Amino acid sequence: MVIDDEKIVVDMAKMALEHDGYIVETFLNGESALARLKEETFDIVVTDFKMKGIDGMEVLRTVKEHYPKTKVIMITAFANLDTAVEALRGDVFDFFPKPVKIKELKSAIERALEK
Amino acid sequence: MPPFMELFNKFREVLASHNKAVEMIADMGEKLSGEYLFDTSYIESAYAELSTAVWGSIKSFDSFTRGRYPNLMDAFVRIDNRISDMLSNTASTSGEMIVFREDTLWDMYYEVGGKNAGLAEVGNILKLDVPEAFFVTTLAFDEFIAFNGLRERAEALMKTDSISENDFAALRDAVIGSEIPSALDEAFDKAIKKMRTKCGASSSVAVRSSAEEEDGRLSFAGQFDTVLNVPLEGGAIKEAYKRVVASLFSLHSIAYQRRFRYDAGKMKMAVGCVAMVDAVSSGVVYSVDPSGKKENALISANWGLGKTVVEGLVEADIYRVEKGQVPKILGTRCGKKESMTVVLPSGGVDSIHTPDDLRGKQVLDSEVIVDLTIRAQSLEKHFRRPQDIEWAIDGNGRVFILQSRELRLGDDEGKRCASVDKYLKAMPVLMRNKGIAVQKGIGSGKVFIVKAPDDIKNVPKGAILVSKRDFSAFVRLMNDVSAIITDIGTPTSHMASLSREFRIPTIVNTDDATMILRNGMGVTVSIDDEGSAVYEGLIDDVQGCSDANVASVTEGHEYLRKRYVLRHISPLNLIEPLHDKFQPEECKTMHDILRFIHEKSIMELVDCARHTKASLRGYAAVALDLPIPASIVLIDMGGGLEKVRPNVKNDAKKTATAVEIASIPLRAIIRGMMSPGAWHNEAVPLRMKDLFMSMTRMPDIHSTSMSSPIQNVAVASREYVNLSLKFGYHFNIVDCYCSENPRNNHVYFRFSGGATDIMQRSRRVEFIASILREHGFTIWMTGDLLIARLANVGRVRMEEILDQLGRLIAYVRKLDALMRNDSAIEYYAQRFKEGNYELMENGGKEF
Repeated sequence: MVIDDEKIVVDMAKMALEHDGYIVETFLNGESALARLKEETFDIVVTDFKMKGIDGMEVLRTVKEHYPKTKVIMITAFANLDTAVEALRGDVFDFFPKPVKIKELKSAIERALEK
Repeated sequence: MPPFMELFNKFREVLASHNKAVEMIADMGEKLSGEYLFDTSYIESAYAELSTAVWGSIKSFDSFTRGRYPNLMDAFVRIDNRISDMLSNTASTSGEMIVFREDTLWDMYYEVGGKNAGLAEVGNILKLDVPEAFFVTTLAFDEFIAFNGLRERAEALMKTDSISENDFAALRDAVIGSEIPSALDEAFDKAIKKMRTKCGASSSVAVRSSAEEEDGRLSFAGQFDTVLNVPLEGGAIKEAYKRVVASLFSLHSIAYQRRFRYDAGKMKMAVGCVAMVDAVSSGVVYSVDPSGKKENALISANWGLGKTVVEGLVEADIYRVEKGQVPKILGTRCGKKESMTVVLPSGGVDSIHTPDDLRGKQVLDSEVIVDLTIRAQSLEKHFRRPQDIEWAIDGNGRVFILQSRELRLGDDEGKRCASVDKYLKAMPVLMRNKGIAVQKGIGSGKVFIVKAPDDIKNVPKGAILVSKRDFSAFVRLMNDVSAIITDIGTPTSHMASLSREFRIPTIVNTDDATMILRNGMGVTVSIDDEGSAVYEGLIDDVQGCSDANVASVTEGHEYLRKRYVLRHISPLNLIEPLHDKFQPEECKTMHDILRFIHEKSIMELVDCARHTKASLRGYAAVALDLPIPASIVLIDMGGGLEKVRPNVKNDAKKTATAVEIASIPLRAIIRGMMSPGAWHNEAVPLRMKDLFMSMTRMPDIHSTSMSSPIQNVAVASREYVNLSLKFGYHFNIVDCYCSENPRNNHVYFRFSGGATDIMQRSRRVEFIASILREHGFTIWMTGDLLIARLANVGRVRMEEILDQLGRLIAYVRKLDALMRNDSAIEYYAQRFKEGNYELMENGGKEF
């Protein structure tokens, strides 16, 4: 699952990950993503940190509470230490500032799946 | 402070701000290359930084040149406004409903669509023959769609789960039945009147789509309707316009849009009304043969209009040509050309049986083949990517370019796949090397033979689609089928373009695949560098060997749209500093502005250095003390020499030796120039004619005055050099950046002049080109002038290349005198490549 309020981010992530054989669903806001999580189990959630409405932190908290096996990878345009620390405290699997190298995102996903 | 030193310090400031900005452009290019996930705020902040850096660079340049180029600031403001508009999604438009081709500017692609913008560029900038045309803009489209409430209808339709072809047909009917708003109606009438004046009242046009195509990365080949031979009358043109717009809504066009993640139903369409060329022959040129060498172009041709070729309706003529200054025809395949498309006097076109006397006759003679290849080369050079070009020749033999768009080529396809190879070896071969390979790859599945257009909806997932002929509507199936094979078709058709875009292994023109293969038969199609084959039997897992059915990140619509801003930042249009067009007004991108600043600053500095010999010594300039008498003065911008040169006159050493050069690129060039044997001091026999030439030839305009004491100047830092050398009557300029980061590295080499006659001088230039081409340079030549460029090369490789360039600069100094016939070019090139730098055989006998 990829969540970001910008179409370009979810589109690129979807195309890049599908290229490697992953099944990817994308969402442009936290609300629709959390609704979908109620219906389907996802191995990985890649989410933007800052979004209107339900943001990345809330997605992370919900996932940790209700779907503990799902790993969360956070990406954000606002790469500063505070947000990173806050997110890591919430047990995020990995954290990337945008622009993020697709290769690095892919290898984080691979590592998350191995665990 | 002495004038030179003052200038020099300012120059260093200019260069520092310039380099910072160039690095930012490179970084932005990397982040937007498709290897990173990025968002809008990244583009906005990166551009804000870049724009500040470029402005800073302009300010220091302005101070350096004492305000000599005020227009550069205007150019910056113009480009900056354009980019800011794009970033804020308020792209300014001309506000026109219809614009004529000659009034279309290069950056109006949003308004007129990619295809129309391309046609305008070919005619207006490259000055190649293109038909008269006017373009109905996307603004007109918006008005038309809004006026008739079609947008809501389309969007509602896209939201429904299962849309049928009938739903689309109803929507298309609604478009065709819609009313043209009065402002557009008036614009049409005015444009038609003007067009009738230009082309004659009885002339007609082709009404064709030009959808908003971003930077033309996606072909949309054959996705929308074209209405041919429409009389220049209001009613007919407006009807044709609506028909073309309606074609936005079809199952196959929506399938194509979805693949590239367009918000289906939101695409805008401009339309071109292009004067009909009553063509004797037409076809397509690919400036690169997609299934062969990149040095070759591929031409397909048929009699009449090009419809038969682009739709793959006939077995057209195919010509393979080796590109070059004098293109060489490598092979001709005369097609059967059973039918041709002709214009009807009453309007419209018809397909007729090709008359017997034309059917077996070759469409193009060698002169036209060469002419088309040269045009294709210039288009490829201009657009800097391989081109897919539609052309037509009228009854007077005039060649028209109807369209030029990017030709998509796979990167690393065509390699054999070991895991599958072992199975293939054991399987019976049904067809080998039949037809023409269009897209490499491997696909395995059950054969489904399409006999009628209606069969398309029955093709199962994973099938090998076999058909009598090409069909661009197969695009609907391209996400699902494993391979495509046709009996008839051309490698340059719309379907072929789509097969490449979707990376579906495809073979066309096999003659009888529909006879050899049977419905339901399990087969495996393998197309690679070594050829094509169809094997009997299935291989379960060819996935790892195939890229088919997966769109790459860099093809996504949203990605292309966002990346579009780079079009105003990165490309370099100002290439040749001595060209008339090397002016601030001609800057189209931020990179152009920086290039202008860089080039003019170097020129200014070198000029000043050449005229102030006395004041140079002891400052940053030293004479190079080399074992060859090259007389070079080096101006060290910092890091160019091993030791920091003191600025105090008395302590200054006046010379530096080769080992003291710390500039990486300069050291490599000098090392090459000093290679044993490369520099000749001996006299080369000049004939009477040459002597006379050398007396009458004026020094080149680009030289400094003959009275100037210094002819050879190197401006260098650790990773950069600009070297201007004048030896006798010819000139060398090398501009090179050579660092650890290949993305920043480039080398520009310019060679011109000489004392002998023009034939000998141009042979010398041909000789240089033949050597540099082997090192990967892109070359441009005319007469005795050569410009060669190469970029994105790693440091080690760059040093090797510069070493060779140094040898070349030394070696060719007197070579023109020996270039008495064309075969001398090859003879000396061979010797040079072998490292044999003797100019004459033992005993002083020349070749």
